[in-house]
Amino acid sequence: MANTTYEKRIRPGVIAVRALIYTVTAAVVALVVAIIAFLIVKGLPYINWEFLSKAPSRLDETYGIAPMIINTLYIVLLSLIVSIPLGIGTALYLAEYSKPGKVISAIRFAIEILAGIPSIVYGLFGLAFFINALKAGSSGGSMIAGALTCTLIVLPTMIRTTEEALLQVNPSYREAAFSLGASKLHIIRTVLLPCALPGIVVAIILSIGRIVSESAALLYTAGVDYTMPANLVKHVAEPGAGLTVQLYLYATEGGSPDWVPYAMAAVLMILVFIINLSANIIAGLFKKKVSIN
Amino acid sequence: MGIITTKDLNLYYGDKQAINSINMDIEKNRITALIGPSGCGKTTFLKTLNRMNDTIPNCKITGEVIFDGINIYDNKIDPMLVRKKMGMVFQKPNPFPMSIYDNIAYAPKYHGKKKRELDEIVEKSLKAAALWEEVKDRLKKSALSLSGGQQQRLCIARTIALNPEVILMDEATSALDPISTYKIEDLMGELKKTYTVVIVTHNMQQASRIADRTAFFLLGDLVEYDTTENIFVNPRNQKTLDYVSGHFG
Repeated sequence: MANTTYEKRIRPGVIAVRALIYTVTAAVVALVVAIIAFLIVKGLPYINWEFLSKAPSRLDETYGIAPMIINTLYIVLLSLIVSIPLGIGTALYLAEYSKPGKVISAIRFAIEILAGIPSIVYGLFGLAFFINALKAGSSGGSMIAGALTCTLIVLPTMIRTTEEALLQVNPSYREAAFSLGASKLHIIRTVLLPCALPGIVVAIILSIGRIVSESAALLYTAGVDYTMPANLVKHVAEPGAGLTVQLYLYATEGGSPDWVPYAMAAVLMILVFIINLSANIIAGLFKKKVSIN
Repeated sequence: MGIITTKDLNLYYGDKQAINSINMDIEKNRITALIGPSGCGKTTFLKTLNRMNDTIPNCKITGEVIFDGINIYDNKIDPMLVRKKMGMVFQKPNPFPMSIYDNIAYAPKYHGKKKRELDEIVEKSLKAAALWEEVKDRLKKSALSLSGGQQQRLCIARTIALNPEVILMDEATSALDPISTYKIEDLMGELKKTYTVVIVTHNMQQASRIADRTAFFLLGDLVEYDTTENIFVNPRNQKTLDYVSGHFG
């Protein structure tokens, strides 16, 4: 039994590296679990229908968050209406029409810079440009000014994710459609956009997540009103705090019981969780539709 | 004079010339095979016939391709209308990720056929591509659920649905198994009754089995072009003889 060439051997280095990888992963998971558990313990018991459906009242000392939920959804919806066509249009230009050169490099560089700007800077710009210069809504901030500022914030992600999705479409589909005498526009409409749809949906969901969690930029541009909007159409020009902004105000200015910010944080977390879950489900549905049944 | 005639056709990728002054006459209702080693320009030449090279950046073409008496490289010509008359089948089956029906209906729908005409076109095209019996009960299923050989016949049917005059096939069987290859070769024999078929093939046996005329390309030159029999049995050029007898390839 002298030949041990092919026998299993214990390699201490391999075991050590593996142990390290497992530990690091476990630490990250533990961290996420800890954050969620913390918020659930501190916030979840206070979430009830009244909290979700009423406006806060200083007189009654109640702390409903319905107006903030409305404001957050309002800004999300309005931003998407502006940013989806802008984002997809730019991505289509970059992926399908542009020819490599200095102009394209400049555009890409600009988009990268746009992605790296801190959101407080966007807030300042939104205040100066949308509210002071364009007079978009009340001087104390407005839904439209907040939504347009959020549009600027999400556009880089929207453009890049959509462009990537377009570039990943199997080039042989493009070739096939060209060989059938179809125009570029028709190919985009019938082949490229449907194939890139899962990626575009992911881009939209990521954008929603970004807007929901935005606070600094909205503090300047959408204002801090916590009353229930009376008219949703007129509300576009009125100020209103979203969940994050109001959470920030409760947490920093005080005057409210300790549980309020935690309960709001828990609501925010659940909202983000639902958004991510639906992103996965939608992307999965599209994948199924396109792949081998 | 044939259905397609090329006159002094040159193609450059940037500074590099890929095909050199090709003069060739392709006969109607025949199968013409383009053979030659990799990089000889046969696929590039095939793609000049329906202006598919237009989509490649830095690609420059000089000379003429006369089709139906018209130079398709004339400035006034819309390449999309040329492609409508010259269908193309690619090396790898590339059905769209849509249903079988939608794949076939794609081109006729785009080129303005009415909805009620589509059912008939789909059935006729699938029959002409010898695929109807296999898929008639699952036209709404994804085309990607078909086998490779079925997918390639679907692509042929999709091309037939264009109602072209010429069908160009770029190594259309090279990714398929022998049985699927046999079916498609068989199909080509049928297709030439209605269409003019031009194939690029790596497989010399395939050319000798099905082609009426064969063109041998080498390094961008058209070395010899004759009846398939002459090319394989009685070539005039030493290089053709060396290639068809397997001395290089």
